[in-house]
Amino acid sequence: MQASWRSLFMNDLNEAVCTKCKAEFESITGNACLYCGALEDGVCRDCLYWEQTEYAGLITKGQCLYRYNAAMQTYFHQYKFLQDVILSEVFAKEVQHALAKVEAVIVPIPMNPKKLKERTFAQVDAMLESARLPYKHLLTKNEDVQGKKTKTERMASTPLFQWNGEAVPKKVILVDDLYTTGTTMRHAAKVLKAAGAEEIELFCLIRG
Amino acid sequence: MKEIEDFLTGRIWLKEFTPFPKNEIDEAIAQGLIACIPGISEKQECSRCLEKSAHLISFYCEKCEGDCLYCRHCLKMGRISSCTELITWAAPSPRPLKTRSFQWSGRLTPSQNLASQQVIESIQNNRSHLIYAVCGAGKTEVLFAPIYEALKKGDRICIAAPRTDVVLELSPRIRAVFPEAVVHTLYGGSRDEPGFAEIVIATTHQLYRFQNAFDLMVVDEADAFPYSMDPALKRAVMKAKKPEAPVVYVSATPSARLLKETPGRSEIFRRYHGQPLPVPRFDSLWNYNKQLKKKTIPKKLETWVRLRISRQEPFLLFFPTIDLIDQNIPLFKELDVGIEAVHSKDPNRKEKVMALRQGKIPGLLTSTILERGITIPKVQVAVIGAEEEIFDAAALIQISGRTGRAADFPTGDIVFFHNGITREMDRAKKTIIAYNRKTIS
Ligand SMILES: [Zn+2]
Ligand SMILES: [Zn+2]
Ligand SMILES: [Zn+2]
Ligand SMILES: [Zn+2]
Repeated sequence: MQASWRSLFMNDLNEAVCTKCKAEFESITGNACLYCGALEDGVCRDCLYWEQTEYAGLITKGQCLYRYNAAMQTYFHQYKFLQDVILSEVFAKEVQHALAKVEAVIVPIPMNPKKLKERTFAQVDAMLESARLPYKHLLTKNEDVQGKKTKTERMASTPLFQWNGEAVPKKVILVDDLYTTGTTMRHAAKVLKAAGAEEIELFCLIRG
Repeated sequence: MKEIEDFLTGRIWLKEFTPFPKNEIDEAIAQGLIACIPGISEKQECSRCLEKSAHLISFYCEKCEGDCLYCRHCLKMGRISSCTELITWAAPSPRPLKTRSFQWSGRLTPSQNLASQQVIESIQNNRSHLIYAVCGAGKTEVLFAPIYEALKKGDRICIAAPRTDVVLELSPRIRAVFPEAVVHTLYGGSRDEPGFAEIVIATTHQLYRFQNAFDLMVVDEADAFPYSMDPALKRAVMKAKKPEAPVVYVSATPSARLLKETPGRSEIFRRYHGQPLPVPRFDSLWNYNKQLKKKTIPKKLETWVRLRISRQEPFLLFFPTIDLIDQNIPLFKELDVGIEAVHSKDPNRKEKVMALRQGKIPGLLTSTILERGITIPKVQVAVIGAEEEIFDAAALIQISGRTGRAADFPTGDIVFFHNGITREMDRAKKTIIAYNRKTIS
């Protein structure tokens, strides 16, 4: 089943993301922000801000694989909003390569249950499953209010997540698809830290 | 409710994405006015585009809490899955006949007139019909009388074309000729128009969203990409019309299959202005690729372009690939900075073609995207690399058909620059000569 599904998919995928499109994805290499992988030396402006707030010192380091260029925006739109589930396979190899050797337990950023039912799939979980990586959910997401607020309002707003009560390992790596302001990651990290995590890394496919 | 009925009659639409409030839709469903159709049918087929199970993707769905299928083929119109529903107006009420006028002061040539009558006759007999007419024959005018006859009977009519450019060109002409008819124009990104459309002018893609809707179906440019290559679009045309409704195909370069399978046929091998089609000439451009790579335009080609510029004749240079266009546009800009390039992904295509028509720029480098649908008075045409596979006989005939369309300028140079003559080039030339002979006899 798995094999035939995959080979069928490869035919379909060639249509969706041809080699030319794939060449247009821009990976992040060289100097990048220690915390979030933004293309800035040392620590980026967003992270400098975070390190002056109550969220300081939560994240030890982080990585993002790709920039949010036009090709990536097209991909992301088709995957997340047009719900083209099968596109979770596009970066399977790259995600596998980046995360296979980390010791920390992979913790995906969850979706709100109501939202998840609407979307029909969790795009972060699907990406990890395509990369054949084990993961553990430790958080639940509160109802979404993000879209309605400005960037600064969002950075300071009420908690986005709750601990789900399961045992928290010492080392965790938070995984999300798109990193924009860092609010999601900081809120998640804060909850995990309070629940007992000692070392928290972050990983995102895309740095917006 | 009237608005919803107007919109949903003959349409098959994603329940969650209608332009109406959800409670009104739900109420109409409760009253049995709207029928719900599962997104994926029992036969494991997408209910909108009729894609079969082999191209449907299975996944674990959080909404179904189990296995679910979704269709990738028509994904961009909003995803269809096992747990989505499509809706359609269940029992359309009869529409009163209205008087419809026909405002056109032009006159048909005898062969246009004959074709027009033949189409009307085929439609009366519910028989499909092919209008096989050379580029510049005036195919659209041939359709006016048959459409008028259908309108008078209260029929619903669809004019479909594979490409948006063609739809956009047809739409104002049809609206002008039938001023009282409600006409909707549909293509990717078009806006919803109010009322019940008696005439729908649409890209073949948009027909996925119709079902059992039309009494008369016209498919213009029936041999054009992607319609010609995509069985799903052919299914969409058949699904959008009522089962017994005839299809009128229009083409200047019909495939052998279309010729064979369409029972009714009219042929127009004479242009509306009565002048013969310009016949392409062949000119060798040996190893043009090597020279272009060395950043020099082959001498013959340069001379041809310079002549056009000095005579102020607009020109089109057809290239086999977008890459070749991108690589060489700087070279041509050295001859004249006004020269521009267009291809299928160029958002400014329409503006550039307009600029050429208005004489604001001297010429365009183009892919085969401009092989159809455009008329530029006095235009001169060259194909670079006419031996390339993309230039089959149909494409070359269409490209040649860009020249000499205006009655004031019925001639024009059409040259196939080549690196070896192919059978397709020969076929194109022979076919054009044969059309011109039939004109004489
Ligand atoms: Zn591509
Ligand atoms: Zn940063
Ligand atoms: Zn479909
Ligand atoms: Zn489902």
